[in-house]
Amino acid sequence: MTLINFFIYLLTMVGIYSLLAMSLNFQVGFAGLINFGQVVFFCIGAYTSSLLATRIGIPLPFCFAGGMILSGLFGYLMSIPTKSLKSDYWAIATLATAEVIRLIALNEGWLTGGPFGVMSIPQPFQSLFSMISYPFFYLMLVLVCVLLIYFVLSLLSNSPFGRDVKAIRDEEEMCLSLGKNTRQIKLQAMVVAGMVGGLAGALFAHYIAFISPENFRPIETFLMWAMIIVGGRGNHAGAILGAGIIQLFNVSTRFIGDYVPLSSDSMASLRMVIIGLLIILFVSYRPEGLIKEKKKVY
Amino acid sequence: MEFSQIVANSLIRGSELSLLAIGLTMVFDILKFSNFAHADYAVLGAFLAYSFNHVFGINLLISIILAALFTGLFGIAIDKILFKRLRTIGANPVSLMIISMGIEIGLRNVLRLIWTSEIKTYAIAIRRPLEILGARITPLQLKIILVGFLSMVAFHILLHKTKFGKSLRAISDNRVLAGACAIDSEKMITWMWFLACAYGVIGGTMIAMEHVLYPRLGFDILIPVFCATILGGIGNPYGAMVGALILAFAENIVLALDLSWLINLGGFFNVHPIQISTGYKPAISFVMLIIILLWKPTGILRKK
Repeated sequence: MTLINFFIYLLTMVGIYSLLAMSLNFQVGFAGLINFGQVVFFCIGAYTSSLLATRIGIPLPFCFAGGMILSGLFGYLMSIPTKSLKSDYWAIATLATAEVIRLIALNEGWLTGGPFGVMSIPQPFQSLFSMISYPFFYLMLVLVCVLLIYFVLSLLSNSPFGRDVKAIRDEEEMCLSLGKNTRQIKLQAMVVAGMVGGLAGALFAHYIAFISPENFRPIETFLMWAMIIVGGRGNHAGAILGAGIIQLFNVSTRFIGDYVPLSSDSMASLRMVIIGLLIILFVSYRPEGLIKEKKKVY
Repeated sequence: MEFSQIVANSLIRGSELSLLAIGLTMVFDILKFSNFAHADYAVLGAFLAYSFNHVFGINLLISIILAALFTGLFGIAIDKILFKRLRTIGANPVSLMIISMGIEIGLRNVLRLIWTSEIKTYAIAIRRPLEILGARITPLQLKIILVGFLSMVAFHILLHKTKFGKSLRAISDNRVLAGACAIDSEKMITWMWFLACAYGVIGGTMIAMEHVLYPRLGFDILIPVFCATILGGIGNPYGAMVGALILAFAENIVLALDLSWLINLGGFFNVHPIQISTGYKPAISFVMLIIILLWKPTGILRKK
């Protein structure tokens, strides 16, 4: 029984991180925006949705929508400087932005509960299910969201908008010379990515039912990067595959921790060392990732 | 807080940060990528110095020099193994940046594996602070300012009065032309890494000596160092020094500011002094970084 529960937990987390990886992939793999602060969408989505639910008590679908809208808006804010900044300057700025938002969550205790976080976050449709069947229902909910987002993002990336986005990634000057409003296209891409990331945050908060600033450390961004680098950038299936591989590795090594003579702290560091090595090896020797982007010739 | 105390604190912080910022700016100048692992190299050096001093009982000063040497060699080894290959195949600088992020996380967790996340302090006798113009300053902090100043002078002499410095500047200006003048750019890059890492270790060890040493220190100083580098104009070592000083002053002044005048409106109301919570201290450099990037991404001192 515990094994089944463990698998349900694993798959739910894979689903939530697939959303985050798809969102990051949409920025990095499609629009060429190097975002080192991806966790900020996760954070904003989770906090907005759980605070709307616990403090104001509005119905949960509206909480989810609120989380998505606010992190979409934040995506808009983050996209403003892309017009004038080189990619690595923008990357540093996003890293700093994510930490500022986390520090606000940590220090503004009157709103966010500070280091103690938000507790007893209500779970959607909990009354309809028993304690045993509820995780299975939530897994289905997450999977439906993943499929839906996969479908929407695929539609978007095959639309004229998606082709514009990829064109900016490859040849920004040429797009400008063709009269494309590159700034607006980047902005739209960031808003879409922000909303997807916010959805993942809301799903996470209502699944775990407890969030604190510790959940949104920069290391999470790093995990999402590992996912898209291993899985492959520029296609949504790669992001999902990467999320599966990295989460499986991350969670299962926690599981075998009982059989290895190492403290949990050293296990955690060892895990991160291996993920760091994976990133280095993939970028050096297989930069396209496991699933290669299919480049269409028109 | 006394004004002289703010000046003293800022000088200390500025000396520490500028030693780190110089290395970051050199790597960016020559190799055109942001090295996210730079602060973690420095923390590696600080841990090495700690071990030399504690485990082998070597004198602290010699330990720091040894640590700087070893970390310099480590930086060169990483360059030879990882960055050189990508340089020769002409990879996008973004790939180099992502690799440096992989090194950053990998190295930080190797440090955590070896030295555990327990907080460490160097064996330095605590002395009574001296009082200079109303500012309280410990002998250690005086030494930090002195070492920072001497390192800057040494760097200036190295860059302008030696053949090495001239070659380095030539490569930064125009690598093809420098190659035509028989300057071996690979050799120069090797020395540049050594110098960047060694300076970083001195800065990192000084921060760890003044406060405490723990594996995540690298992340905590990374963004202030980036901020100082960009503030002074990335690729410009003198800018890095100026940027570090400005950032240090800004950090100390913002924390000392009393915001109650905003509400009191010159005596209309009588609100108690309002100060920014010290929990936001790290956020000052983050916010400054974002503002600089929005307002003047080229930094204060234009390159050359």
